[in-house]
Amino acid sequence: MANPEDSISTAAIGVSTGKPATRTGGKRVRSFTADLSAVGEPALWGFGGALAIGIILIAGFLAIIAWNGFTTFWPKPIEQVELVDGTVIAGEPTRYNTFTVGESVLARLNDAQRQEIEDNFGFANRTLYKTANFDLYGDDFTWAADFDIANVERPSGYYLFERQQWGTFVGFPASLVIGGEETAYDQGLMQREQRAARSRFADIRRLERRDIGRINHNQERARLDSRKALLQYGENDPRYLARVEVNNARIAELQNEFVEVQQRISDIRAIDSQYRVILEEVNGRTVDTNLSQIVRFYAANDVNWFQQAGIYLSRWGEFLTTEPREANTQGGVLPAIFGTVAMTMLMVVFVAPFGVITALYLREYAKQGKLVSIVRISVNNLAGVPSIVYGVFGLGFFAYTMGTTIDQLFYAERLPSPTFGTGGLLWASLTLALLTVPVVIVATEEALSAVPRSMREGSLACGASKWQTIRYVVLPKALPGIMTGMILAMARGAGEVAPLMLVGVVKLAPALPIDGFAPFIHLERSFMHLGFHIFDVGFQSRNSEAGKPMVFVTTLLLLGLIVLMNATAIYVRNRLKKKYAGSQF
Amino acid sequence: MTDANVQPQNRGLPVKRSKSTRWTVIYGDRIAKWIITVGGLMVIVAVLGIMVFLFRVVAPLMSPGEETGQVNYAVPEAADAVWLNADEFQSLATAVSRDGSVTTFHVATGEVIVTDQFDIGETIVTAVGGTLDRRNIAVGFADGTVRFGQIAFDNRSVPASAAPGDMRQLNARDMVSGGQIYSQVQTGDFRTIIPINELGESEQISEARIVALDYRTGGTAERPTSAFISVDADGIARVSRSVIRRNLMTNEETVTTTTTEMPPLNLDEGVEVTGALLASGGDRAFVSTDDGFIYRFDIRNENNPVLAERFRAFDDGIGISSMNFLNGELALVAGGEDGSVDVFFRLQPANARGSDRFEMVRARSHAPQGDAIIGMSEAIRDKTLTTLSADGSVWVRYSTSDEILFQFERTSPADVDAIPMLFPRSDGVLMLDTFGNVDAWQYRSPHPEVSLSVIFGRLWYEGYSEPGFTWQSTSGTDLFEPKYSLVPLIAGTLKAAFYAMLFATPIAIMAAIYTSEFVHKGVRATVKPVMELMESLPTVVLGFLAALVLAPLVEEWIAAVLLGFIAVPMGLMIGAFAWQMLPQQLALRYDGMPKFLLMGAAIILSCLFAYTVGPIFELVLFNGDFKGWTNGQGTGTPFMFLLQLPLAYLIVSWGFHKVFGHVLRDRMRNLDRAAAGRLDAIRWVAFFIGALVLSYVVAALLTALGYDPRGNVVDSYQQRNALVVGFVMAFAVIPAMYTLAEDALNAVPGHLRAGSLASGATPWQTAKWVVLPTAASGVFSAVMMGMGRAVGETMIVVMAAGNTPIMEWNIFSGLRTLSANIAIELPEAVKDGTNYRVLFLAALTLFIMTFVINTGAELIRQRYRKRSANL
Repeated sequence: MANPEDSISTAAIGVSTGKPATRTGGKRVRSFTADLSAVGEPALWGFGGALAIGIILIAGFLAIIAWNGFTTFWPKPIEQVELVDGTVIAGEPTRYNTFTVGESVLARLNDAQRQEIEDNFGFANRTLYKTANFDLYGDDFTWAADFDIANVERPSGYYLFERQQWGTFVGFPASLVIGGEETAYDQGLMQREQRAARSRFADIRRLERRDIGRINHNQERARLDSRKALLQYGENDPRYLARVEVNNARIAELQNEFVEVQQRISDIRAIDSQYRVILEEVNGRTVDTNLSQIVRFYAANDVNWFQQAGIYLSRWGEFLTTEPREANTQGGVLPAIFGTVAMTMLMVVFVAPFGVITALYLREYAKQGKLVSIVRISVNNLAGVPSIVYGVFGLGFFAYTMGTTIDQLFYAERLPSPTFGTGGLLWASLTLALLTVPVVIVATEEALSAVPRSMREGSLACGASKWQTIRYVVLPKALPGIMTGMILAMARGAGEVAPLMLVGVVKLAPALPIDGFAPFIHLERSFMHLGFHIFDVGFQSRNSEAGKPMVFVTTLLLLGLIVLMNATAIYVRNRLKKKYAGSQF
Repeated sequence: MTDANVQPQNRGLPVKRSKSTRWTVIYGDRIAKWIITVGGLMVIVAVLGIMVFLFRVVAPLMSPGEETGQVNYAVPEAADAVWLNADEFQSLATAVSRDGSVTTFHVATGEVIVTDQFDIGETIVTAVGGTLDRRNIAVGFADGTVRFGQIAFDNRSVPASAAPGDMRQLNARDMVSGGQIYSQVQTGDFRTIIPINELGESEQISEARIVALDYRTGGTAERPTSAFISVDADGIARVSRSVIRRNLMTNEETVTTTTTEMPPLNLDEGVEVTGALLASGGDRAFVSTDDGFIYRFDIRNENNPVLAERFRAFDDGIGISSMNFLNGELALVAGGEDGSVDVFFRLQPANARGSDRFEMVRARSHAPQGDAIIGMSEAIRDKTLTTLSADGSVWVRYSTSDEILFQFERTSPADVDAIPMLFPRSDGVLMLDTFGNVDAWQYRSPHPEVSLSVIFGRLWYEGYSEPGFTWQSTSGTDLFEPKYSLVPLIAGTLKAAFYAMLFATPIAIMAAIYTSEFVHKGVRATVKPVMELMESLPTVVLGFLAALVLAPLVEEWIAAVLLGFIAVPMGLMIGAFAWQMLPQQLALRYDGMPKFLLMGAAIILSCLFAYTVGPIFELVLFNGDFKGWTNGQGTGTPFMFLLQLPLAYLIVSWGFHKVFGHVLRDRMRNLDRAAAGRLDAIRWVAFFIGALVLSYVVAALLTALGYDPRGNVVDSYQQRNALVVGFVMAFAVIPAMYTLAEDALNAVPGHLRAGSLASGATPWQTAKWVVLPTAASGVFSAVMMGMGRAVGETMIVVMAAGNTPIMEWNIFSGLRTLSANIAIELPEAVKDGTNYRVLFLAALTLFIMTFVINTGAELIRQRYRKRSANL
C-alpha cells in the first residue's frame, strides 16, 4: 500500500515513529505504518463476536418458539408407511432426526444397509410419526428409521379426528349410526350430525356447569350457614335449631332441583348415544365413538390450502377460548389466560402505591445520606432476592400466617378446610407485588427525575406547597414513566412461575376466580397460569411428546403477551424521553 | 410574577386576599410527607421483615427442645418388674413382674388402675423380649419355657354422651372409670385408653433357664408369622419361627413352629449373655456377652445358621451391658460397662471380617455416660435413644446427629436396676426400678433430627459405607433416617452458578464493551432494548427449551458441541486475521455494520463446521463414542488436550513475545498493512500449531503420570446436565449483566474518551487503557448481580438439571440447587414440620447468599458512581 493513502486514515490505525519521516511534494508527511496490536483487531472480533452470539441466540430462541408455535396448528398430511417387516403404520410425520444405530439393530440389517450406515459414521435418519389412536396402541408416537421403511405414500381418504377423550384418531370413518340406525359414511351427513351432536354436548356442559354448579354452591352455602349458627349460638340454642331447619329445607329443595337437572342431562345423553361413528384404523381395528365426542375432523390428505387455513384458524380459536382437556395436552388455555391476567392486574393494584410512594420518598423527600443509601441497598436487594424466596415467604407469611388468622376470624365455619389459609389468587398477587416493586420504584424514580427542575421551582415559586407541587405538577408529568414501570412490572410478574408454584397455582383449577356467585371475585381461589401450564404440560403429563406442541403454542402466547407489554413500555419510555428533551425552559 | 400583582392592574379592583395558608394545605402537606416517608422506609422494613420471618420459622430447628414435666412416685405393686410398656398419650403404663403379676398404673399420678396375675405356675419370669412396637411380648421362664402375650393399649373415641357416669378425675386431663382412662379432646368427645394384658400357652424351648429373648412379628394379615431368638443358661441360642395358617373353610388356625439351634457360643466360665436381638427380616441375629463380645449369626439359610462374626465392641475387658437396635434395625447400639454408647452398621468393606462378607463397623461413638449403661430404649418413630447409666443419669440422644437432647437425673437410688422406656411418641421417658420407684419425664422436642452438624456437617448415615453429605428428606416409612444436609444443595447451587457464569461473563462483558465503545449510536439504540426485553423473558420458557429441545440435541451432538467451543473462537480469529489482510480503504469503508455481519457469519459458519466435522472429530479423538469415553473407555489424553488448548496458546504466545516480540514488531512496522496482516496471520497460525503440539505433549505426559480428568470435572454423561443448565442459565443471566455493564461503561465521562483519542490512541487502546479501568468496578458489580441471579434461578434448574442432589463438579452430570429443592419439596411439606423448616432454612440460605452478593455489588456501584461523577 502506498503511504499517502494511509495517511488519510485517522484513528483507526496506530501511529508509529519507527520509520523516519519522508517528504512528499514539499510537505512533511509522517509515515503511518501498521502496528496491528494498536488496532486490536482479534480482540475487536472477539468482542463483536460476543455481541453477535448474544443476538444470534436471542434470534434463534425466538425463531424456534415462533416456528414451532405458529406451525403446530397447521394441519399436516397423513403418511401411510409400510415397513420392511410388513407392518403398516399411518400417522403425521412430526419430526426427523439423526441417531446412532445400536449394535443389536445393526446385526439384523443387510450388508448394503450396514455399509450405508457405516459410511455415515454410524448414524442413520429416522422419522417420528404421530400415529395417535392412544386407546388402541397405548402410545401416541412411533419412530421409523429410514432403513426400516419400505414404502411411504399419502393415500387420499385418511381422516384425522380430534376427540374429546383419548386424543386424536388417525384412520377412516367406517360407518355412521344416526338415530340408532347404522348407515354408510357420508361426509356431509357426518358434518351436519357432528355439529348437532356438539351442540348437545355443549348443552350437557352448560347444565353441568351452570345449573349443577349453582345448586352445589347454594347447598354448600346453606350447610355453612348452619355451621356458622352452630359456632355462634351453640348446639342447643333455639336460634341455631331454627336456622338449621330453614337451611335443611333449602338443601332438600335444591336436592330436588338437582335430581331434575340430572334427569335432563341423562335424557340428552340417551339421545346422544344414538348418534355414533365407527372409526377404523389402518390395520382394520375399529373404535365406536359418540359423534359428540368428535371435536373436529378432516380428510387430512384431501384438504386444499383454503380449508387448511380454516382448520388452522379454528384450532387457534379453540386454543384461545376453551378449557383444556386430555390432562391439559389438548384443547384451550382460557382458564390459564384468565388466571394470568387476573393475577397480574391484582398485582398492579398492590404494587402501584407502594412503588410510587417509595420512589417519591427517594426523589422528593429524603435527604441524600446514609438512610437513602440503605433504602437503595434494600431496593436493590428486593430486586436481587431469588423469586423462589418470595414464594417461600408468601407461603409462610401470607398464606399460613395471615391466611390462617383470617380463616379463624371470618371463615371459622369452613375449618378445618382452609379458605385463605392456603395458596390463592390474593396471596399470589401480593407475593408477586413484593417481587416486582423494585421495577416500579426504579422506573418511577427515572420518570420523576425526568421532570425538569424548573417546573418544580415554578410551582413552588407560585406558592404551592410541596405536596401540591408533586400532586399537580410532578406526578402528572411523570405519569407516562410510571405507567412504563407498571407495564414492566406486569411483564415481569406475568412470566414468573417459581413463587406461584408455592402460593396458589394449580394444574387444573375447578373454578375461575371470577364467576357469577357472590361476592363474584374469589380472591382465595387457586388459579391456572400460562407459565405453570408450560411446566405442567411439558414435564408432568402422561406423555410429554404429545404435550410438546401445546407447550410451544402456550409459550408463544406467553412470550407474545410479555413482548407486547415490554414493547409498549419501551415505546412509552422513548416517547417520554423525546417529549422532555426540549422542554427545559 | 404572581397573581396578586397581576390582578389589580387587570381588573382595577383591589382583591382581598388571605395571607395565611389554608389549614387543609398545611395538613395535607404534612400528612403526605409523613405517609411518603413511612412508605419509603417500608422497603427496609420489607427486606428486614422477610429475613426476620424466615429466621423465626427456622429458629425452632436449632433448639433441642424443652422439658415440660417431671414426676416421681412409688408403685409397690410393680416391684421386681421385667417389662414395661406405656401408651402413646402417656396415660397408662403396664409393668410385668418376675412373679407374673401385671400392674397398670396412671403415668401422671402413679395411681394403680388395674392389677392382674398371669397364671404361670411355679416358675418365674427370667427374660422378656418385645416386638418393635412393644405390643407383643415373648416371656421366657426359669424352666426353659416361653409364652407369648400382649401388653398393649387400645385407644378409642367415645362421644361425650356415651361416657360413663362414674368417672373420677385423676388429674387435669385424665379421668378413670372401670379400669379405663378417659380424656376429653378438642371436639368434646372422649379418648379412651384401654389396657390389654394377655398371656398364651407355654412352649418348651430349652431345658435350661432362658436368659435372653427377642421377638418379632411379621407376615400378612392372612398369614401372620412370628420369630424369636432365645438364649438359655447353657449358652445355646435358638431361633424359632412360627407360621400361622388359617384354614379359610373352617377358620381353624394351625401354628407350625420350627426351632433351629445356632452354632454354640462357647462361652468361657462365668461369662454371661447380656442381650439377644433378632432382625425383622429374619436374616441376622445378635448375642452380646458381659466379656465384651458381640456374636452375629447369619440365619438367611434356616437350616444352616452360621456364626458370621464375633467381635469386640469396646476395648479389652469392657463388657457389653446393654444392646439394642435403633429403629429400622439397620443400626446396632451397644452400651458398655464403662458408659460408652457405640453404633455399628453392617457393611460390606473390601476385606470384611465376617464369613458372609459383611462386617459390623463402628460408625458412631456417642458421648460416654459416667458409668455402665444398664438400660436402653429406642424410639419407635425416629432415631431417638434413651440410655440409663449406673450413675443415675438418664440421657436422651438423637443418634443420627450424635446430639444429647436431654440429660435427666433419676430420683430413685442410682444403684438399683431399672427399666427405662421412651414413650411411643418420643416425648418422654418412663423409668421403673426394681423396688417399684417410678421416674417419668415429659419433654417436647419437635425437631430432634436437625442440628447445625446435621445441616452442614459430614454424617455417617445408616447403610452408607462412609460419612458424607446427603440430602434425602422424606420417605414412606417411619423407619427411614431423614438426611438433611444442605451441603449438596449449596454445592449444586454453586455448580450451576459457576458454569452459568463461565458462559455468561465473557459474552456479556465483551458484548457490553463492544456496544458501548465500538458500535454506532444507532445500533446501540436498537440492540440495548432488545437485550432489556430478553431480561423479562420467563425462565420457565428457557427451562422448557433447555430440557426438551436442547438437552436431547446436545446429547446427540455432544462432540459437535465440544468442537463448537473451539471452532467459534477459531472462526472469529480467522475472520479477524483475514480482515487485517484487507487493504486499508476497504477495511475502513466496511467498518461498522458490514464487519459486524461478517462476525455473525463467522460464528454461523463455525457452528456449521462443528456440526459437519463433529462425527469425524469424535472418531479421531474419542474413538467415535464420546459418552463411552466419559464412562472410562480410552485414555484421558484427548480431553486434557482440548482443555489445555487455550492455556497452551497463551503460554506459546507469551513465550514468543517475551523472546521475539520486539523483533517481530520492528519487522512489522516496516511493512504496509496488508503485508503486516499476512505476517500476523502466519504468526497466529504458527502459534496455534505450537499450542496444539504443546497441549498434546503435556496431556500425554500427564496421562503417562496417571492423571485422568475423568472422575473430576468430567465423568459419565447424563442427558440433563450442568453443561446444558449452565448454557441456558447463562442465557437468562446475560441480559441483566449486559445491561448493567453497558450502563457502567457508558457512564464513563465522554471527555476521558475524547482526551485519549485526541492524544492519538486508537479506539481499542482507549477502551483498553482508559474506559475499562475507569468502569472496572461498575462492570464487576454487574458480574456480581449476574451471579446473584444465577444463584437464585429456579425454573431452568427444576426442568433441566435432573435434580439429583449429588456433590461432584462433573460438567456432564445433573445437580439439585437450593431453589429447585424448595420448589420441588415445599408444596408437599407439612406445615411446621421438620422438612418445612429445613426448606425455610434453604430459603434463608439463598436469601443470605444473594443479600451478601447484592449488597456488595450495590456498595461498589454507589462508590463507583460517586467516583465517576468526580472525574
